Amino acid sequence: MTEDSGAPAEPGAGPPGVWGSGAVAVAPSRLSPLVLLIDPVRMLPSLLLPLVGVLFVGGFSPSSFFWAMLAIVGSVGYAAVRWATFTFQIVGDRLELTRSLVSRSVRTIPLERIRGVDVTTPPLHRLFNLAVIRIDTGASGGAKQEGELDGVPLPEAERLRHILLRRSQDARHEEHAETAGAGSASSGARTPTSTAVDERVYVRVPWYWLLYGPLSGAFLLTPFALLGGAIGLAFQWGSEFGLSERVAITVGEWLWNRPILLVLAGLLLVMAMPVAGGVMYAVFNWNFTLRRRGSSLVAERGLVTRRSVALEHRRIRGYEIAQGLLERRARVARLWAIVTGLGDSRTRGQLLPVVPRDFAMKVAAEAIGPLDAGLRPHPPQARQRRLFRAVAPGVAVAVAAVLLGWPWIGVLALVVAALGVPLGLDRYRSLGHAYDGARLSVRSGSLPRSQAVVERRAVVGWTVRQTWFQRRSGVLTVIAGVGAGSGGYAAIDTGEDQGVRFAAEVTPEWLAPFIAGS
Amino acid sequence: MPAPLRDPANRVSRRAITLWLLEALIGFLLLVGGAALVASWIDGSGWSWVPSWLSGNIWWLPGVIAVVELPFVVIEPLWRYAVHRWELSGDVVYARSGWFSRQWVFIPVSRIQTVDKEQGWFERLLGLATVEIRTASYAGSSSIKGLDVGVAARLAEDLAHRAHELRDDAT
Repeated sequence: MTEDSGAPAEPGAGPPGVWGSGAVAVAPSRLSPLVLLIDPVRMLPSLLLPLVGVLFVGGFSPSSFFWAMLAIVGSVGYAAVRWATFTFQIVGDRLELTRSLVSRSVRTIPLERIRGVDVTTPPLHRLFNLAVIRIDTGASGGAKQEGELDGVPLPEAERLRHILLRRSQDARHEEHAETAGAGSASSGARTPTSTAVDERVYVRVPWYWLLYGPLSGAFLLTPFALLGGAIGLAFQWGSEFGLSERVAITVGEWLWNRPILLVLAGLLLVMAMPVAGGVMYAVFNWNFTLRRRGSSLVAERGLVTRRSVALEHRRIRGYEIAQGLLERRARVARLWAIVTGLGDSRTRGQLLPVVPRDFAMKVAAEAIGPLDAGLRPHPPQARQRRLFRAVAPGVAVAVAAVLLGWPWIGVLALVVAALGVPLGLDRYRSLGHAYDGARLSVRSGSLPRSQAVVERRAVVGWTVRQTWFQRRSGVLTVIAGVGAGSGGYAAIDTGEDQGVRFAAEVTPEWLAPFIAGS
Repeated sequence: MPAPLRDPANRVSRRAITLWLLEALIGFLLLVGGAALVASWIDGSGWSWVPSWLSGNIWWLPGVIAVVELPFVVIEPLWRYAVHRWELSGDVVYARSGWFSRQWVFIPVSRIQTVDKEQGWFERLLGLATVEIRTASYAGSSSIKGLDVGVAARLAEDLAHRAHELRDDAT
């Protein structure tokens, strides 16, 4: 766990062995001073409004300019002090982040707790060849528990990540090989990225596969988000420029009286959906590469902000493949890793963007491990249950609407109920489970269909659930408890015997004593 | 039991029936009280979209709910007592719970992270306790309710002790 405590060891007096250079004691490192150029630019938007206010209220007099200058100088000075008082250092088997701005606080991150290290390069940082390092400790306390180094020279960041992950694997004997390549240790010196690491590129996603992006439905709402943001901004800034609610209402009324314009604008937005969504998707997933570096899987992506996520291989417990309805039509899929102690695994654990499904399976088998067993179907009672659950809500609403005397809503609800038939059938076809001796797999869902493949050793327990209705149909749900990913992966509506045997097949020593008649 | 799983060996304490009865009674009072609130709200609002046959007879709602719910107040505790069972054997905790819906949990002691013994208000009155067993996953975690305090303390201690031993073996 991390902690914010009082006064620890003196800086620089810690045990030797900092930054991989075997026996030299090294003073704590600072972030690159170049962040001082970035910080004020980043603060600009939040400063702009008060500044403009001061200038307007003060009427561009010398004194108001003076105050504005003071504010800017103050913020730059604050950034400089923050920079000067923040140091980081690897001491023995832990990383210490020290901030001594007002009171001295030290955040200690034991290296063995480090689950992953993200290196991102936002656009401004890239200008100065800097990077942001985020250290994921798998703590459940949210972002505060994690470490962030904002503004490390890029080569240094790569090296640091390598060292942190290597150290966290407790592989000290390999350290000597690293020493030769790593050289000097101060953060200012730009040592080249160590080339001693064995590296293997699994995938470099070709650009034309980015065209699959809009199928995932991600970013499709981008135009609306942009429009909403613009309106919000207009309201926020409007009063500064003499726009008031009255003006807004007048504009609204003017538009309302010209419905053609409204319809055109709506059409434009809808037409812009796939285009804008596709563009956003491409920006985020540009040049997606998945490689193995040392003992980590590294996924790198992004055009403007280049994001690179390293997942330690020994913490990966399996993978998840998801397909939406459109994606299934096009035979494409997305891939995530199931990693112990990784928060927000759906963003961070992403291994592949939308790619052809067979390709995703091949990459998963190569990078993590194959599943050599076909999915077993669930009994026909499961189909009846899927159908009932897809159709019944629509029918219920229809009956209620008719009773209340709203025929139109009733008809609409009946249409929804009719659509439930193919949905229910498809949801049944999705169901399946498998075990190949090393990994188990479960699949469910329709509109998003997802299949999880999990290593046997990751299972920490089983829950078997049976509702009253399930008991009448003779089916039950078996949930494999896994200390990674979403925590539990369920085989829904298996046959009673089938489900229990499935769990007993995966972990016979746990279940066999409790199975009747065995 | 249609699922091919045998009953866990031990029943929970007989006093657990009283505990569940108390809990069911409180739930019953809250439900009927809530229905009465809704009824008085609709009665006094004079909303036009509520059909007249409904708003005219709205005070039937809490009554109907009370009549329908009352048998379950008695049935649930007895039913639960028949279903809730637990067992520790072969270094696996095997527990069954529920009434309308039921749930079987298998937790190997070697994967246990924490074991807690807890006592709520009523439980303290009745001399009962709950043993909470947690692993890294919600689906591998369970709480065994309605145990006699002595039994719960012994089980919690056994589990913690054995989990510690097994973890030492593993490293």
